[in-house]
Amino acid sequence: MAAVRVIFGVLLFVPHQIGALATNVVTALVQIWTNKIRAFLTVLGIIIAVTSIITVVSFVQGFGDYFTNFLRGLGTNLMVVYPEAVRGPRGEFLRPAEMTVDDIFAVDAKSDAIRRTSPVIFARCTVEYGRQQITGLNMRCASELFQPIRNFYVEEGQGRFFGAIDVENAAQVCVLGRDVLRQLECDESIVGDYIMVDSQRFKVLGLLETQGSFMGDNNDAIIVIPWTTGLKMYPNNRNYMAFYSEAMSEEQVDEAEAQIARTLRRRHGIRPGERNDFGVFKQDQILQQFNQVKMIATSVLGGIVGISLLVGGIGIMNVMLVSVTERTREIGLRKSVGARRRDILLQFLTEAVVLSTVGGLIGIGLGYAICGVASLHPKMVEVNVPIWSVALALGFSAGTGIFFGIVPAFKAAILHPIDALRHE
Amino acid sequence: MIADSPISKTTAPLIELADLHKVYRVGTELVHALRGVSLLIGENEYVAIMGPSGSGKSTMMNIIGCLDVPTEGRYLLRGQDVSRMSQSRLARVRGRQIGFVFQSFELLPRTSALKNVELPLTYSGVRHRRKRAIEALRRVSLLDRAHHHPNQLSGGQKQRVAIARALAQEPDIILADEPTGNLDSTTGNEIMAIFDSLHAEGQTIIVVTHEDHVARRCRRTIKLMDGQIVLDQMNEERERAKGISTAEGAAAAATGGSEGTAATGGSRPHGTEGVRPDGKRGAATGTVIEEGGPS
Ligand SMILES: Nc1ncnc2c1ncn2[C@@H]1O[C@H](COP(=O)(O)OP(=O)(O)OP(=O)(O)O)[C@@H](O)[C@H]1O
Ligand SMILES: [Mg+2]
Repeated sequence: MAAVRVIFGVLLFVPHQIGALATNVVTALVQIWTNKIRAFLTVLGIIIAVTSIITVVSFVQGFGDYFTNFLRGLGTNLMVVYPEAVRGPRGEFLRPAEMTVDDIFAVDAKSDAIRRTSPVIFARCTVEYGRQQITGLNMRCASELFQPIRNFYVEEGQGRFFGAIDVENAAQVCVLGRDVLRQLECDESIVGDYIMVDSQRFKVLGLLETQGSFMGDNNDAIIVIPWTTGLKMYPNNRNYMAFYSEAMSEEQVDEAEAQIARTLRRRHGIRPGERNDFGVFKQDQILQQFNQVKMIATSVLGGIVGISLLVGGIGIMNVMLVSVTERTREIGLRKSVGARRRDILLQFLTEAVVLSTVGGLIGIGLGYAICGVASLHPKMVEVNVPIWSVALALGFSAGTGIFFGIVPAFKAAILHPIDALRHE
Repeated sequence: MIADSPISKTTAPLIELADLHKVYRVGTELVHALRGVSLLIGENEYVAIMGPSGSGKSTMMNIIGCLDVPTEGRYLLRGQDVSRMSQSRLARVRGRQIGFVFQSFELLPRTSALKNVELPLTYSGVRHRRKRAIEALRRVSLLDRAHHHPNQLSGGQKQRVAIARALAQEPDIILADEPTGNLDSTTGNEIMAIFDSLHAEGQTIIVVTHEDHVARRCRRTIKLMDGQIVLDQMNEERERAKGISTAEGAAAAATGGSEGTAATGGSRPHGTEGVRPDGKRGAATGTVIEEGGPS
């Protein structure tokens, strides 16, 4: 009852008390400064909570932005279809993986929701140029449609992509990603020159534009050759081809997938009810996976933040209780010179909030520092601290101060003036 | 019975205590700190409260200062019944009408003298706080220490800051509970000289003290014993002069105590002189009220 009245009084009085509030804040800061180490230890929990909020939110945001950009760069209507062995419930082979070039052409011909299709072989190769050698370089063997499908073009003025004729002739030509140049320690003059790819002579037709790295994968460490040439080099892939398909539009991706499934199931003689012997990799799957990661990160964050706010809050409550006891005489004196219960309540509540907010500010500083240092790493995506996470963190820390400060502040407010003044 | 008293027909007294009781409960034991105290104090009185330790002096002062409430009985402050007041109203009364001076100063540490003096003003929300605080410090001749912190001040200076703090809100009454108790006699006399001059300026002051020479500077002495008033007398002019003469001559001269009290003597409400709480007019001096208590 008294509690309700006091709190209500505070709420009613807040607007009139801006001046007193400023005084309270100054008093609180002086108090904190007087007990620096105690205050620091007290707000450690808050610091950890806020630092986690800032860093995790910023990292998730940073990766998310990067991811979205990356997917947009891929083209939002891209699908990758790959053969997949069908296994039974106990892991036994029911049907081997199989995908031929004819399958791919059939899909392309029969699907009106698909704009373009290109066979693709994923391989790793060894490249030599001069004295330099790169092993395990990512290789894509595709058609001349690789560029529009993957939205990955040869840089202007740095040669050309291979054409339909090159594919038809299984020409030994290639285009290189920018990072390959760096690894081979050479410059743009490599365009038009020859390199050795798995001991075969390839002419370098052009250089791809820079794409950057993605989650540790360097997209610029890549070599692209005609798929026909690729089949000559790796004939085993003849029956295990994969292919890129680009749907007419983003909305038609599902329809395109259905058309691909229909064609392939018929060609492979799969009966209704039986599983597909191929897989389709779509962007929304990547997004789903990413969202899952995001969910996990968020719940881990929630756990850390919850626990450390609790710890920090209890710390604040404890230190405020100590402070109230230490300053009992001061409270008595303040009451004897006219402080009402709400004045005392507000003073100690302000102190709790200032304490937790100072913790919050330290946490924000730390969070910024961590994000800044992380961004310095070359393989790291750019991490920016979103302003709303700062607001959120400050809100959380101030809220903790209020929540855990109310009990000590109330204890101080209801002290009897004489008892307080008599306190030893 | 108070209605019959002559003063109530003229003006309401500043303080009117009627049959006050205060009982503390310590465990299962009851401690009777006050047992039926009745008292009238008018404007610009200068009262000393004496009595042995544990006789209830502080208890009475705390009730007068609205820091505590009586268990029984009535307390009218300027005719207003304090026991009916809400908590926040009491706080307001403490802030605006009462100025407390404590034995152990009770200054806020790490806070300048000026800020300490401003403290009551921040709670009453008055304007020109700085100006009023400076004025209060000037009245206790401590302006040159305005920015010193309590740990940079001597005991006497601290007590002067505390008096300035009590003065800042221009209270109706200054209540001082053993203000010289923590000070040596010289410094104590300096403090009393300040009270003398404040009284000369028209301030109502009640001082609790154990020291006779302190009490003699006041105009009226009330003696408590076992929670009851056993003596309520007016001090004679020459008695007070003696009280002052025992003080360091310099301290007395600095504030012009004797002249001041003499000059303002006439401003005291006449009706209060020697009026006993029961309404009977007692002898002006030396009336010992025997009520069976050991005296
Ligand atoms: N909070 C309390 N709880 C219990 N008893 C108390 C309390 N305050 C005072 N008393 C008792 O009331 C009586 C009067 O106390 P009070 O402090 O008024 O005495 P006093 O005259 O001021 O004494 P002193 O000269 O030593 O200051 C004492 O017996 C004391 O023990
Ligand atoms: Mg006492």
